[in-house]
Amino acid sequence: MNSLKSRFKALPPVAWMLVIIIIIFSFNSPNYLSFSNFRNILIQSSPLMILAFAQTCIVLTQGTDLSLGAQVGFVTVMTVFLAKRGVPLVVSMIIAVLLTVCIGAVNGLIIAKGHILPFIATFGMQNIVFSIALLLTSGASIYYPSFTYRIVTESTFLFIPMMVWVAVLTFILVWFILKYTKFGTNIRGLGGNREAMVLAGINPTHSLIKTYAFAGFIAGIAGIITLCRVESGQPIVAVGWEFQAVAATLLGGSSLREGKGGVPGTIFGVLLITVVKNGLNIIGVRSIFQNAIIGSIVLAAIIIDAVIRIRSKE
Amino acid sequence: MVEISSINIRVVKKVIIHCLVCPFVFNKKQKDKRIRDHTKRGGTMGKTILTAHHITKIFPGMKALDDVDFDLQAGEVHILVGENGAGKSTLAKVILGAYKQDGGEVFFEGEKMEFSGTKDALSKGIVAVYQEFTLVPYLNVAQNIFLNREFISKIGIIDHKRMETEAAALLKSLNCEYINVKSPVKKLSVAEQQMVEIAKALSFKPRIIIFDEPTSALSEREAESLFVQIHKLKKEGIGIVYVSHRMEEFPRIGDRITILRDGKKISTVGIHDCTNVELVNMMVGRDVSQVYVRSENKFTGEALRTEALQDYAGKVKGVDIFVNRGEIVGIAGLVGAGRTELAQLIFGIHSIKSGKVFVNAKEIIPKSPVNAIKNGIGLVSEDRKKQGLALDESISLNIIAVSLKKIFPRIFINKKKINEVALDYIKQLHIVTTSANKPCKFLSGGNQQKVVLAKWLSFDPEIIIFDEPTRGIDVAAKMEIYRLMDRLASNGKAIIMISSELPEVIGMSDRMYIMHEGKMVDECIRGQYTSEQIGAKMLGVGGAANE
Repeated sequence: MNSLKSRFKALPPVAWMLVIIIIIFSFNSPNYLSFSNFRNILIQSSPLMILAFAQTCIVLTQGTDLSLGAQVGFVTVMTVFLAKRGVPLVVSMIIAVLLTVCIGAVNGLIIAKGHILPFIATFGMQNIVFSIALLLTSGASIYYPSFTYRIVTESTFLFIPMMVWVAVLTFILVWFILKYTKFGTNIRGLGGNREAMVLAGINPTHSLIKTYAFAGFIAGIAGIITLCRVESGQPIVAVGWEFQAVAATLLGGSSLREGKGGVPGTIFGVLLITVVKNGLNIIGVRSIFQNAIIGSIVLAAIIIDAVIRIRSKE
Repeated sequence: MVEISSINIRVVKKVIIHCLVCPFVFNKKQKDKRIRDHTKRGGTMGKTILTAHHITKIFPGMKALDDVDFDLQAGEVHILVGENGAGKSTLAKVILGAYKQDGGEVFFEGEKMEFSGTKDALSKGIVAVYQEFTLVPYLNVAQNIFLNREFISKIGIIDHKRMETEAAALLKSLNCEYINVKSPVKKLSVAEQQMVEIAKALSFKPRIIIFDEPTSALSEREAESLFVQIHKLKKEGIGIVYVSHRMEEFPRIGDRITILRDGKKISTVGIHDCTNVELVNMMVGRDVSQVYVRSENKFTGEALRTEALQDYAGKVKGVDIFVNRGEIVGIAGLVGAGRTELAQLIFGIHSIKSGKVFVNAKEIIPKSPVNAIKNGIGLVSEDRKKQGLALDESISLNIIAVSLKKIFPRIFINKKKINEVALDYIKQLHIVTTSANKPCKFLSGGNQQKVVLAKWLSFDPEIIIFDEPTRGIDVAAKMEIYRLMDRLASNGKAIIMISSELPEVIGMSDRMYIMHEGKMVDECIRGQYTSEQIGAKMLGVGGAANE
């Protein structure tokens, strides 16, 4: 009971913000608090949620991976591209995910071996991956019709769509790895104190490469989910998601310094962003304003967090 | 000229230590006896477990180690002393395999060692407790202790429960069972982190432990319990290499001392075969009879005064102090008494809750360091690596950091002039370096501290606050800093000196304040107090010292 209380207290401020925003929206629109709307929010948030878990791992190592969004688009394109040339759809998916793992590994290699700032290295990679996706599709969307997509988007388990379950499973996977494996401990250590890792006999280069490859893998899953939603290969489908993922991670209380944070907070961060988008749509705010509002909320949350931190120090 | 002899210093230390440990007097006396008995046997029980012959290590521009011999016996504490840059840490790192020597050989239990990294040394049971903590802030205590050696359960995942139990057992053997093994180390105090470091070292079941300045972050009481642990380790036949600057510690734990100077071994002596003065002379290579040198100054009016100063965190509770020009004012107190916080309030790092600050009898509100600097206040901070220096930047850039606007009032800067200023201070303060463009991270602690001082000297503030100015630096550098402080005071600067080393505060200050739990509990003028009184006041006991 006591530990429950302390856990409640340990919730990041974003959790409270989420509650407040849901209350505000529910006053503005009678349909807001319906089961189908929440189901909708969960479905909408799933791909970004998965991608944000990948980003959280990277943020824990004091990095940011700007190529994650491009990787999602790349997976949709690559899968459809291969499927159209006769490769079975599921096999194409696996190949596409393996490719994102490779992209991640290359990211890690450049960052670790070249001592290059992560956001610069991954920004380069973002452009390369994006260009390849555009090349494969000649700039347009490509289609491969199949019923396999529907397994993910339309089937449910315990009234909850498969897509959401994929996100839940990914969460459990990442959380478990961070807590119960050496690899996960190394991810935290990389961001916390790299010197200590070296002295403990851990090769930071290998750990970094593994981390970026792992993020690539998770981004691959996000790509498959996205493909099932849009049922086509679209290079631009996830443009800007990497930044939303960073925002969600930071909103969730992870820090770009010292390896602080974790994936549970990220869930709230992603939900906050999705809830705001969804709510604004429901109460009919024009989409031009939506980005500004979301941006303001991200800034507000980070400022509140910073203020709390400074206050607690003084 | 006033001089306080080294004997006096030892007496003072003893009193303080005694006061601090008095609740445990019973225990300690028994322990002391055990310790003494053991030390007698110490010399005989050792067989040599480590020998290093003719070790030479060359860094670009300097010979860090030059033909150094070293040996360590099982169950002994072998102390390594020397000035900054004398090669102590380098030797330790060669033994640990962190550096590859350019010449010479290391034998561990008669076997020639070819370490290609600390991992090899670790596997042989050679571990180090480093001066800079090697902990990961947001991993918990148990995870930190078993970093990269996590217990894996049958199903292949980390066994947190077992790690926590083992970690708790290790900490218990160090009498630190109050440290929560599930807590992230970020939440622990510096001393607790140090104990975690030691627990980590012990978890390797080591044959040799290298301690690099282990007490520099500890209070007397914590240091005391560390010594008890070290004696326990000795008894188990572990060889201990102890790198330290604190001479008063040596007789309490050491068996032999090896003195290094400029990368060369000067001598290895038994702990009782040489006096402190001889030791210092060997370290610095010249006669050092006077440690604390003060000239008699005329005070020329009040420079700084605070009235009922309070901060938001409740660390500083209504402090009134004043400093005259030409005066050195010491602030003594235990770690956590609020001394640093007071300095940071005056310097504008933290905001003032209530109270007033006057500079030259004019009230100022120190909103920020910028503001404080404008009012002629300088702060030589406690943590030179984090707050004092831009470690990756060159010496010259660090030296002109504060005075940039003063030297170049216009838009553009001039590299040549920066270099001239820097070289001037490098010469003045005897900073040992191959070039003014060397990044500060490559300098030894004492030289780094000198760069911090040069930074403030070049700005020439009227009031300088020194927060632990001699932490972790050797005797010769300390003395240079003392002389510099004295010179500054003679030139009419007002100086506040915060220090945990009581002999230093007593030796240097014209007047001193004693702080206890955020309050100024006493004020004494030079020569008008006894060390017992000060020790008692620091503890908040007040009145007579309780013997």
